[in-house]
Parts: sequence; C-alpha cells; structure tokens
Amino acid sequence: MHIHAYEKIWLALSIVLILFLLGSVTYGAVGPGVAMVADSEAQIDANALDEDDRFAEPRVEQVGENEYEAYVVAYQFGFDPSPIVVPEDSTVTLQITSRDVIHGFEVAGTNANTMAVPGEVAEVTVEVGEPQEYGIVCNEYCGAGHHGMEGKLHVVTEEEFESEDGGDSE
Amino acid sequence: MSRTETAGAPTDDAGGDEEFDPVGTLALIAVYFAILVLAWVYIYYIEFLGRDLVVVG
Ligand SMILES: [Cu+2]
Repeated sequence: MHIHAYEKIWLALSIVLILFLLGSVTYGAVGPGVAMVADSEAQIDANALDEDDRFAEPRVEQVGENEYEAYVVAYQFGFDPSPIVVPEDSTVTLQITSRDVIHGFEVAGTNANTMAVPGEVAEVTVEVGEPQEYGIVCNEYCGAGHHGMEGKLHVVTEEEFESEDGGDSE
Repeated sequence: MSRTETAGAPTDDAGGDEEFDPVGTLALIAVYFAILVLAWVYIYYIEFLGRDLVVVG
C-alpha cells in the first residue's frame, strides 16, 4: 500500500495530538493531583438525615492537624451551613448530600463542583489558601426557587476561625 | 479512484501520484493542529489547572 508523504505527516500529527491530550490528563493527576468525585461514600437515608452523625447537624469539623471536614446539606432552596467557614491554608474535605431533590454544589469560579444527590454523599477535597469569600451556586434545576439558591464559603484567618468557632458553640 | 480511472495508462498513474502534492490541505491541517494544541493548552493548563480549589480527593 502506498501512503503519500503528506498523509504520513498528518497521521503522525493526530497521534501526537492524542498523546498530548492523554499526557496532559496524566500530568494533571500525577502533578497537581487532580481527582474526580467518586461514588466511594456509602449511601445514606435521605429521609433520615436528622439521625445521621454527619448531616443531622451540618457543620465544619477539625479532623487533623490542618484538615477540616465540612458536612453540607443542600435543600430547596439553600445550603446548610451557610456560610461554610474554614481557616486559611488548610485542607478541606466537603461532604455534600441533599435532603430532597438533586441539587448542584459549585463554588463559583473554582473547580469545586459536584452534584448533591439525595441518598448519596459527594466527597470533594480541596486546598484553600488566602482568606476569601466564595459564593456557592446550585447548578442543577431543583424547583421554583432554584435561581435564588446560593451559599457561601468563607475562608478566614486562623484567629477569626478560632473566635467564630467559640461563638458558634456557645 | 484515480487508480481505476487511469488503469489504461499506467505510466501516467505512477508519475501523477508522486506529483500530487496537496500543500493547501497540508497547510490547513497544520493550522488546525496549531489551533487545537493552543486551545487545549489554554483550556487545560491555564483555565482548568489555574483555577482556585483544584479537587485533589
Ligand atoms: Cu438546588
């Protein structure tokens, strides 16, 4: 079979392109550690969240040296807790579920974005930096009040976090 | 197609195939390739990885 020289060039280019795309995704996973939201969390009873250890009382909890876990419940039409308050320069694992219908959970303008499905727990781990206020939007149409459904994620300084934490528990 | 059409003139075919150089097509593919590479670099490395709160787990 005779293949024209030019044809060989663009066949090679297409292979280079495929390898470049695959290589980029591999680099993302190995270098910056980009991960996917998996279905690793066990299912829960969406109708009995008030009996659930994590979601009866949506909150932020310290689970390690500089590690925090946030238990978030999405509902028609909002997120609990709101705001989600975490200290700067920490690793935050968000566990998100819904108590009614499917919602979205997107920290606006960032890569933290998942679905909130009743009965399922979505786990998203992110590293937060400087103190900052993020907005959270629901990006799955969930009913008449969907357009107004929003939450807040506040990254605050260490001191502010300590004082707010004390204030909350009183 | 050219093979069947020029079956009666094999000498023409041998020469014609080598002289058929679609430089325009090659250039078009090169430009398209460059666009795809630049778009991917922008989408993945700059927009996606450059954003805040990269999901790491
Ligand atoms: Cu919603």
